[in-house]
Amino acid sequence: MFPLSRRQMLTRCGTGVGMLALAGVLADDARGAEPVDPLAPKKPPLKAKAKHVVHLFMNGGPSQVDTFDPKPALDKLHGQPLPASLRTERKTGAAMRSPFKFQKYGKSGIEVSDLFAKTAGHIDDICVIRSMQAEVPNHEPSLMLMNCGDGRLPRPSFGAWVTYGLGSENRNLPGFVVMCPGGYPIVTTQNWRSAFLPGVYQGTYLDTKHTEVDKLVAFIRNTDMPAVRQREQLDLLKALNDDHASARTADPQLEARTRTFELAFRMQSEATDAFDLTKETKETRALYGDTTHGRQLLYTRRLIERGVRFVQVWSGAGQPWDNHDNLEAQHKKLAGEWDQPIAAFLADLKRVGLLDETLVLWGGEFGRTPVAELPALNGRDHNHYGFTCWLAGGGVKGGMTYGATDEFGFKAAEKPVHVHDLHATMLHLLGFDHEKLTYRYAGRDFRLTDVHGNVIKDILA
Amino acid sequence: MPRLSLVLVLLAAGSASAQTSDDEFFEKSVRPVLVERCVGCHGPKAKKGGLRLDTREGVLAGGDEGAVVVPGKPAESRLVAAVKHAGKLKMPEKKLPDVEIAALEKWVQLGAPWPAAVKLAPPEKAADHWAFRPVKKPPVPKSDSTNPIDAFLQAKLAEKKLKPSAEADKRTLLRRVTFDLTGLPPTPTELDAFLKDDAKDAYEKVVDRLLKSERYGERWGRHWLDVARYADNKGYVFFEQKEYPWAWTYRDYVIDAFNRDVPFDRFVLEQLAADQLKLADPKALAALGFLTVGGHFMGNVHDIIDDRIDVVTRGFMGLTVSCARCHDHKFDPIPTADYYALYGVFRSCTEPMVPPLWGQPAETQEAKKHATELATKEKALTDFVVAKHTELVTQARTRATEYLLAAHVARNVPPSDDFMLIADKGDLNPAMTTRWRAFLERTRKAKGTTWAIWHRFADTPETDFATVKGHDTDNPRVQAAFATPPKTMKQVAERYGKLLAEVEAEWKKGGGKAPLADPDAEALRAALYGPTAPADAPLALDWGFLSLFPDRTTQGEYQKLIKEVEASAAKGPPRAMVLHDADRPHDPRVFLRGNPNRLGEEVPRQFLTAVDPNRKPFATGSGRLELAKAIASKDNPLTARVLVNRVWMHHFGKGIVGTPGDFGVRGDPPTHPELLDWLAAEFMADGWSVKNLHRRIVTSATYKQGSADRDDGRTADPENRLLWKQNRRRLEFEPLHDAMLAVSGSLDLKAGGPSVPLFSGKTRRAVYGSIDRLEFPSLLATFDVPNPAATSPERTSTTVSPQALYLMNGPFARDAAKKLLAAPTVKDAKTPDAKLDALLLACFARTPTEKEQERLLAFVAKGPETEKWLDLTHALLMSNEFVFID
Repeated sequence: MFPLSRRQMLTRCGTGVGMLALAGVLADDARGAEPVDPLAPKKPPLKAKAKHVVHLFMNGGPSQVDTFDPKPALDKLHGQPLPASLRTERKTGAAMRSPFKFQKYGKSGIEVSDLFAKTAGHIDDICVIRSMQAEVPNHEPSLMLMNCGDGRLPRPSFGAWVTYGLGSENRNLPGFVVMCPGGYPIVTTQNWRSAFLPGVYQGTYLDTKHTEVDKLVAFIRNTDMPAVRQREQLDLLKALNDDHASARTADPQLEARTRTFELAFRMQSEATDAFDLTKETKETRALYGDTTHGRQLLYTRRLIERGVRFVQVWSGAGQPWDNHDNLEAQHKKLAGEWDQPIAAFLADLKRVGLLDETLVLWGGEFGRTPVAELPALNGRDHNHYGFTCWLAGGGVKGGMTYGATDEFGFKAAEKPVHVHDLHATMLHLLGFDHEKLTYRYAGRDFRLTDVHGNVIKDILA
Repeated sequence: MPRLSLVLVLLAAGSASAQTSDDEFFEKSVRPVLVERCVGCHGPKAKKGGLRLDTREGVLAGGDEGAVVVPGKPAESRLVAAVKHAGKLKMPEKKLPDVEIAALEKWVQLGAPWPAAVKLAPPEKAADHWAFRPVKKPPVPKSDSTNPIDAFLQAKLAEKKLKPSAEADKRTLLRRVTFDLTGLPPTPTELDAFLKDDAKDAYEKVVDRLLKSERYGERWGRHWLDVARYADNKGYVFFEQKEYPWAWTYRDYVIDAFNRDVPFDRFVLEQLAADQLKLADPKALAALGFLTVGGHFMGNVHDIIDDRIDVVTRGFMGLTVSCARCHDHKFDPIPTADYYALYGVFRSCTEPMVPPLWGQPAETQEAKKHATELATKEKALTDFVVAKHTELVTQARTRATEYLLAAHVARNVPPSDDFMLIADKGDLNPAMTTRWRAFLERTRKAKGTTWAIWHRFADTPETDFATVKGHDTDNPRVQAAFATPPKTMKQVAERYGKLLAEVEAEWKKGGGKAPLADPDAEALRAALYGPTAPADAPLALDWGFLSLFPDRTTQGEYQKLIKEVEASAAKGPPRAMVLHDADRPHDPRVFLRGNPNRLGEEVPRQFLTAVDPNRKPFATGSGRLELAKAIASKDNPLTARVLVNRVWMHHFGKGIVGTPGDFGVRGDPPTHPELLDWLAAEFMADGWSVKNLHRRIVTSATYKQGSADRDDGRTADPENRLLWKQNRRRLEFEPLHDAMLAVSGSLDLKAGGPSVPLFSGKTRRAVYGSIDRLEFPSLLATFDVPNPAATSPERTSTTVSPQALYLMNGPFARDAAKKLLAAPTVKDAKTPDAKLDALLLACFARTPTEKEQERLLAFVAKGPETEKWLDLTHALLMSNEFVFID
């Protein structure tokens, strides 16, 4: 196999890719044939506000009218059919009021339900987008759309695009980390795939039900030999490789591979360290809470601190937020697991000065209907017509809401934001023109937003 | 020169200077205008008026009548006046769009910036594109070499005053050719024999031996499986079992085909239409797996077909036809009509619920019992599906009134809002509502006909129904039904429904076969029967069975039945994953913007006009066999070129065409076009023998040369496009995996059969490992194994630390090292020196140098000895020498 060379990268990347010292590489430049380190950090072409992304994925679809989009009209119409009910995956019946109370928070006075009371303590750092739209009310295509920008066809994930565009600031850790406790969400690893981008850009999955580092990160520890012996072994390997190289004319691909063993060796301690929560103070640990999500988010902060580019944190295996019935109890349980860790995470990011350069996205693949599902009348169906996501940090205006759903929270009525627009905006904050971050494959220059997407200027700080 | 311009655009983006933004403006706004509008007449081919606009010099030099551009002064530039049609000279004759004129004006204003060294070429006509021109065998350049490949290569090298490198030493050569042809390292015995063989044809004998080895098919079969996006399961599905229990029959077919050197044209035919060919070996039926081992896209038939079109066109012809699903291909001459011509072929094919047996299993009592059991279960499933389909089709007629009204209600919902719906039992079927809606849409265009009144009311608010006067229909039956004005749309639907029911009754009374004599009645009947009727629905609707029965109850029943069939079939002998032609072929229509609910023009099932301008519509069945023949034809300019390029790529690390999956106008042009054509022509003339193609390539001096770098070469051709040396290559995942097992003596060479889990302690060759399409192992992705989501023309080759981590800490390399130490040649070595010799011979096909010996023994001497030997052996397996082929 031939290594991915500078020129190959040149011919595949669009003009909007981060510059990995591409400037100056002319068609006849000798360095064109050199292998590139696909994870080398790159400077984005435009001015960037955010350097990292943290995506808190509420898989299954949290209900907007029970969390961040209050709809008093539902209280009045509870039990009655809505004037304009839209068709979703299943049959729905009458309007269902939210069982949760909303109140105003912060200077901005944005209303948030009791479910996220602690998170709401940071509302002045949060931009609530209440007019999100996806394309269909089915989980699988909506997950694909939110993660990969296309509902059906095999396209690279957002995290893969970002890692491709920016590389990683820490070569001792994966550039794109995915955490989901207890197994995969539905459609599994496709959610963080690299598709036609090189495999190095796919997400590295960690099952955060575990707490020991060697169960979290594959092959991170050698159980067969003590570190001293491994060091000696790698020294020998280096000597072998150096001999091999010096018997040949200089070849960057040989050097590059030799280097990966040194990196890997450092990765062992670095990764172990990143996942060692005992290095945190008692207070910090207490702030996050000793729960799965508490640990996930504390890992996340430690990873971001170490330069990891993209961290995606899931609620859990399958689709936990998919509460077709028994929504009150289920949402209460799920939000209860998340609220404190999120609040702690935002506070902590701020404390260490990372919130400004970290773009946090909270949301599901879609929202839920304001009407109840028949016959049980205690749960809600999927709703792609209108739902809520929020952003914080990373150059986003805090303490604002953007867009609105209709009177009942069914459909985005004001300033609708399609998932492509969300992606375009986030890429903008990361320093990319979403139309120019491209990769040549199968005769086309592909991009995350396909032929769509508009940057939402109003929410930029 | 699309590639050059891309590089320049990139460079333009590289710095933030004013220069850059000017260049960007030129690339984005000026270049296209000059290329499309000007350079055809004022360029390298024609210099009308003595003016050339393809270079900056030309622009500034002006034409016979003097300067045309005064940089910075558009008002004084005749070019600007001419494009504005402001003076006597009006250019071009048909005035340019305003934005283009403005772009040229701004460009002059900016000082006519022109990126360094850019030369524009007139736009190439698609048909002139090199890859669409017929393959013609070019004359071999004069040369001293006996192998024409060398003659072609050396002619190009001579242009740059370069010479090829000297032949690699025998050890390097043996290792290279053995890995290349079999994916395994040479054994010490093989090395010894080759080193001792001084015969002139010693190397040729090795090549013959390797090509005869069954290991050859396993190596090259894997290359083909990348193209075939092979996996052992379907990806995400709802009701069916995720696994393909018999995908491996296709994998075995591929390996066997390479081993038997099945002529490549035959290989194409079998993979596309084995069901319609006379097969010497009935097991070749499994060849159809090429079409059927793709993803299932949650059961969406359009996506499944898209995947098949992609694998066929990109895989065999290097054409990106699937770009034309939504709009005409932007760069290649592939209109959407051609995409849907192929769509029609694959939409006319079905996969049987239970595929046919693979070969002829033994007729035991048990087998018979199983066959009966399976047949019973299959019948239950088929009966169930057929009954549901019959119910759907029947209700499309009996509940026409309801469907008409539902279609009316849904008329303004954007069609893209169609999704998987869960309905209740007894509800109208949403897919059928969509079909009725599409039917009504089609009738809208025909004015004054049977459905004119429908549309008249449909477009009028119910409150205004009374104002609707005069019914413009030519159908008196409809006219009569609307003698009194309706009050609601429901009534309109009811009246139409009644008319339809009456007509159906009349028709049934007359025997229900021949068309009705009364044309007015017949016009109504067309809504219920015949090719345009919604009821004329295929078994597989948009979302397959999800569409056929969208209610959970029925889906549950279906799921139970299909599970029983799948479980029963999986217990039995293997089956071939075939595709059959449907009883009635599908007549395709273009889907506007790729939306199956927005139908455009009808197109015949036929081949691509870009490849065969004289194509005729396919005449037999789905047309699949005709399609196969058109691809496997000597007249097809792409098939042979694409294949020889693939083979070349795997022998040199890159192809003559650098984009093996894109031979279109945006792909790389060949570095050696004559060589490519010579290879393709020779390949076809030689009965499409892939093995002879290998022989031709690997016996060339070009292939056999050393891979050492050279100053002159690096300076003149840094990327080694001209092959002044062989390329050093890193082993891909499979040969790395296999080589570790091979040198440790633990490789299980059992061939064929069901896939085995990888990394499970099994020691079969990696090609026999099962590939999970849904949960594609990150370890494979880490080692650049292509994701089987789509056909993969080439692998990327990344060098990242997780690869090292796996080798350092994973059990795989460590276990191989342990086994190698336990192998007799190593274990029985009498002295540490001898042990070291045996180890290096196994791993590197050489013995250690003195310096190495010293170092390695010193390493062991530090002790503890047993552990140190293991650490050392493990290090050898991870070393660059083990992983790279010189």
